[in-house]
Formats: sequence, structure tokens, C-alpha cells
Amino acid sequence: MAVLNWKHHVLIQSLLERGPLTEKEFHTIFTGITGHNPGTHQGKFNDYLLKINRELSYVQLDLRACRDQYDGQVYYGVVNNVSDEQSKLGTKYSVPQIAFFKAIVLNSLGSQSQDGSPTIPAAFRNFTMSQKEKTLDQLVQDKWLCYTEDDNIGVGVRSILDLRSWFHNAEVPSCEVCNEAGLKAKLCPNEGCIVRIHQYCLNKRFSQRGVIVCPSCDTQWQYQPPKAEPLELEDEATGPMQSQPPTKLTQNQPSLRSRRKRQRVSQNDDAETVGCSSQASQPSSDMRRVTRSSTHLRYGVKSDVFEKRYIPVDL
Amino acid sequence: MANPGEDFSQFDISKEEKDKLVAEVIRYILFKTHQNSGCPIKREELSQLVTKNYRHRLLPAYIINEAKDKLSAIFGYELRELQRLRPSSTNQARLSQQSGVDAKSYVIVSQLPAEVYKKYVEDVNTSHLTGFTFVVISIVHLAGGKIAEENLWHHLKRMGLHEADENHPILGNVKQVVETLVQQRYLQKDKVSGPEGTTLFYELAERALDGPVSERIKQYISQIVKKESATVDVL
Repeated sequence: MAVLNWKHHVLIQSLLERGPLTEKEFHTIFTGITGHNPGTHQGKFNDYLLKINRELSYVQLDLRACRDQYDGQVYYGVVNNVSDEQSKLGTKYSVPQIAFFKAIVLNSLGSQSQDGSPTIPAAFRNFTMSQKEKTLDQLVQDKWLCYTEDDNIGVGVRSILDLRSWFHNAEVPSCEVCNEAGLKAKLCPNEGCIVRIHQYCLNKRFSQRGVIVCPSCDTQWQYQPPKAEPLELEDEATGPMQSQPPTKLTQNQPSLRSRRKRQRVSQNDDAETVGCSSQASQPSSDMRRVTRSSTHLRYGVKSDVFEKRYIPVDL
Repeated sequence: MANPGEDFSQFDISKEEKDKLVAEVIRYILFKTHQNSGCPIKREELSQLVTKNYRHRLLPAYIINEAKDKLSAIFGYELRELQRLRPSSTNQARLSQQSGVDAKSYVIVSQLPAEVYKKYVEDVNTSHLTGFTFVVISIVHLAGGKIAEENLWHHLKRMGLHEADENHPILGNVKQVVETLVQQRYLQKDKVSGPEGTTLFYELAERALDGPVSERIKQYISQIVKKESATVDVL
């Protein structure tokens, strides 16, 4: 007797064919095929997922949810649990492309990573600029990486879904609240304290308790509730930026240079923020599209700077 | 809980071992399909996963069948078997020596109804490739199942697709996409020697000749041409 029916199959196949989906998209599919909204029928929704995962465990796969580290949005995806001979086939990326990706992610983890310099395959040395650009585009399209509002490169949803154990092994510190890797998280203002918490976890806690107190050292955190109105769409020429210690991945451009200076100046004020992008308002998907197309232009302008950023890093 | 112990006892493996093998085969199929963008997987590759560690002669077939069932039950994918074809010109030469079974290969096909698939599952980022595939197969079909390379490009040119075009805004390198269709076994290439030397022909291959696919292509063509599907074959 079949355990799963076509409705379960739709949910699984949609994630396999389309890649990670936002909660909204996934819920829309669920509502479409069952007639029930997961918001109001949480139990039924969970039931479906539970049944699916029981069957998927036969092949060491998992239907999982995670949060995008930059906007806190929930994504669903089917994830591989075991690294074996078969899963090693499961990629269209070549060896140098994967080395490139690894370097970017390790870079974005910055000093948090304990990983030594990665072994660099010989093929990577011949990796040209345009190959790097193409790889970058492909990685963003497949959601392994993402473009952030301030035109940096961030860790994408796919990486968060699939690479959980890798981050753990690289000893990326976890968020105190949700225990997921704190790739983009706020540090405790107390300099001796290593506690970190995601912005969206802070939001939740603040709305529950009205105040944020460090669970480890009892320091009170300065907390800014997120703005109610989304900021106007920012393009690269304008827009106030909350400061960020710029990582090695920031693309350069004449108009951006002043912005970077501003970032560096105010860096000291806002030293509690860690990670590789700034924290602006809710990015709309339109904004991402704006950013993406403009980023393409930028690669052309300052290619030598870009080149320097992407040479394999001796971390 | 289908058949009890008898099934695997004849193979001298435990249930856990059997499950592990089936899972490996399924994972291989899923990951390989992703890696090669839907090119058929040879039966030999799947058998090897089994024979690597187990010697029983009939075990691979049993495991592949189990994998077929599980793929359908868990994912709603059909493991479709295709018989690898040889191009028609070489077939004539071989008629006298019918060797054994030609290699079998597999693709996975969703078992969901078409409207459901289109509404929820289809990845719109790849529909341009599906569309192109359909166009090319239709052209070859309307040419009688086989077409000279030059003719194919003649027709594609009328749609703005050129053989030398490497930067088509949607398809990129157009010739490369046609090559992909050959790798995915929708088409096969055949060199025919004629009075003017050898000509390259494109022929429909097993994936395009597969029953359901072929039927639907005829339906769509007839819709476009607005004639009955029976007349489409007569060309």
C-alpha cells in the first residue's frame, strides 16, 4: 500500500526541480494541492512533511527548512544527508569551480574559520576572470551564494540548507537563540563575550521580552527594532549604509569608493556587527534584481581589483 | 511490507543489505541525472553498483526492479527504460547479424499529471530548453524522422537560430544546445556516404521515439498544423 500519494510527490518534485523555495512559494503549492493553508492547518502540513521525511530517509535525503541569514526568510529544500560515492556525482560544477566556491565561503567566514589554507587544485590557477564571473553567476543562480543589498556576496540559502555539518566542522560559532551557524550575526557589545545572535532572532526575542540581555554575560544589548516601512530601493550611487567591516569580497567601483570610506570610518561605532553584508531593510526581490544587473557592470570596471580578491587565499 | 524473506534469501543477502543497495542505486540515478542534465543512464552503470560487491547473477536485475518501485513510491518518478538504437544506415548493414540485446538505458520521468506538473513542479528557468527540444524534434519528425544537418539549420535559421551563433540571448551557444539533444538521446547523428561525400544526418533517437513522447509530439504538431494527427505521418 502506497504511503505517499501524488500530493506528496508534488511537494518533493517541486523542490527537486526548482531548488529551494521560499516558505510562501512552498505554502502556495501546498494550498493549491490540498486546499488547506499551512498557516491555519499547521498540523496537517507537519503531517505531510513528516510522512515525506520518513520515506526520504530510505535514501538518506531530508526535506528541511532553514532561514536565509540576510533577511530571515524561511526556505524549504530537499537536502542530502550523507556524503558518499553517489552524492559526489551530484554536481555540475568542476573542481576549480568548487575550489572557488569554497574560497569564497571561507573568506566570508573570515577569522571565524579555523580551516587552514585549502589545498588548491592546479586547474584553479588557470581560472580566468570570465570563468570566475560565470561561476559566480551560476552559483548565485543555484542559490549557493547570494548578492546582498550592499552588493557584497553572501552565503546563499542552498549552502545554509546543505552545508550545516560543514560549518559545524569549520567551527563557525552558533547563534545563542536558534543554534544554527551564526554566519551573519550580531556580537555581544561586551568585548570579552563571544555570544552572537542573528538579527531575526533578536527581533523575535525583543518582541517577546522587550529587552535584550546577553545570556552569558548579562550585558544589555543596544537594540534597534527593524523599520516598519521598507526603505526606498537603493542603487549603488545613493543610500545610507549601516557600516560593515568590508570583507575581501566587496567589489570596487569609483562611486563605491566613497561609500567604502564611510564604512571604514563608522566601522568603529558599529563593531558589533559581523558578517559580510549590511543590514538594511527588507530587501524586495526587485532590489536583488537591480543589484545583480549593476554588479555585472562592476566586474567590467575594476577587473584587476576583482582579480586580486579571488586569487586563492592563504588564510 | 511486500514479499517476506524469500526474495532476498535466494540472493543470500540480508534485508538491510538489500535496502542499502536499492538506496545506492536510487541515489546514483538522482545525482547522475542532475549532473548530466537528463542524459540516459546505462543499465550497465547501475548493475555495476551491485556487482561491485555481490556476485549473484540475478541480483542486479532484482535490485534495479526494487529501485524502480521505490522511485515511484517515494518520488513519483518512473524509471523509464529505453532501448538504445543504432542509426538506420548502420542498421541495414547489421540486419544479417542480429547481435544480442542492444544496451538498455534509463531516464526518470515524472508520473504527475501534466497540468499539475506544469503548475507546481516545472522549473521555468529551463522551459526555453524544453521548447527548443520540441521544435527540433518536430522538424526532424516532419522531415520523416531523419534530416540532413544543412536542412535542419535552414529551418532553424528561419526562427533566428544560427549554427555559428554562440551568444544567443536565451540559448547561448545554439550548436551546443543541439549537441546536448544528441547526448540526451533525443537525436542521433549518422554519417551517410553519398555521391558528394559524407553527409551528416540527424535522426530521431530512442528518447524521441518513446511511445508517450512520440504520441504527444504528433498531437502538438497537428494542433499547430490544425490537421488530424493521422495525416502528420504521411510525408
